[in-house]
Amino acid sequence: MHIPDGLMWPIIMAIGWGVAIFALAIALRKEKTTMTNEKVPTMAVLAAGIFVAQMLNFPIIGGTTGHLLGATLATLVVGPWAAIIVMSIVIIIQGFLFGDGGILAMGLNLANMAVVAVAVSAVVLRITKRIRTEVSVFSAAWCSVFVASLVCGLELAVSDMMAPGYYGITWTVSIPMMIGLHSIIAIGEALITISIATYFLRVYPGLMQNARRAPEATT
Amino acid sequence: MRESRKCVLAVIVILGIFTLGAIGYWIFSADMPDGLERTMENAGVGEQEPVYKAPLDYGGDYPMYILMGAVGFFAVLISALGIAKLMAKKNETQPDR
Repeated sequence: MHIPDGLMWPIIMAIGWGVAIFALAIALRKEKTTMTNEKVPTMAVLAAGIFVAQMLNFPIIGGTTGHLLGATLATLVVGPWAAIIVMSIVIIIQGFLFGDGGILAMGLNLANMAVVAVAVSAVVLRITKRIRTEVSVFSAAWCSVFVASLVCGLELAVSDMMAPGYYGITWTVSIPMMIGLHSIIAIGEALITISIATYFLRVYPGLMQNARRAPEATT
Repeated sequence: MRESRKCVLAVIVILGIFTLGAIGYWIFSADMPDGLERTMENAGVGEQEPVYKAPLDYGGDYPMYILMGAVGFFAVLISALGIAKLMAKKNETQPDR
């Protein structure tokens, strides 16, 4: 879901930068007062793990692939504010070092994958906190990818409406295709997230104490 | 000491899983587009020349892919470690309010 340069209407890209910078600034401010030395290695290993996990695309239908986004996993382990920072580091390194997603479009990529996906994860985890952990994690992971793809589809549609033929993709293609494909990719996301979360709960329950606090941290 | 040993173990496990997982990636997925690329293909929209040319790419074969994965892994690890350590240090040096 890494948006390349030249695809989106420049105003949409500017809005993306605005959202990303605003959310990242709040996340850094919040974490500055709660970050502990114990959380540092967890956050670093988590970010690096999400980076390599995003390189492992899996096939879905019709010759299309998807990969783990990792927003729900990050939210579970370090909480939503730190998750925004974790996801941002991954996306910035992908863009600057490997050219994965455009530099001008990086604001939108950050907004979609580091802000929207993490916010959706945190909200769904909070809403579903009273039900079984597995169901809660599955729902959060699935919704995070689905909503992020819907937002990306809307950005493509608005870009097309504002500058048809120059930017974006018509809504009749962008929205159904983005949400159609990503609703399947999201199942992969949910299954991978649930496997890792279940493993952590069994082997490193201490690590997942942050996870249980994650939904509350949104208040 | 125990914590740092745990982290080293986590790094080894993650890179091990990545090395094995990348075999599946190269067999089943390497040549296929992702969701957004497929949407662009179906709409007849091509990718434009990037504004910024990145110094690295993910590599065109399995060994390079593993190497680039490791490079990216450590780049992210060091960046995240630096940012998180800086925040933790600032937090611990701040007087209680």
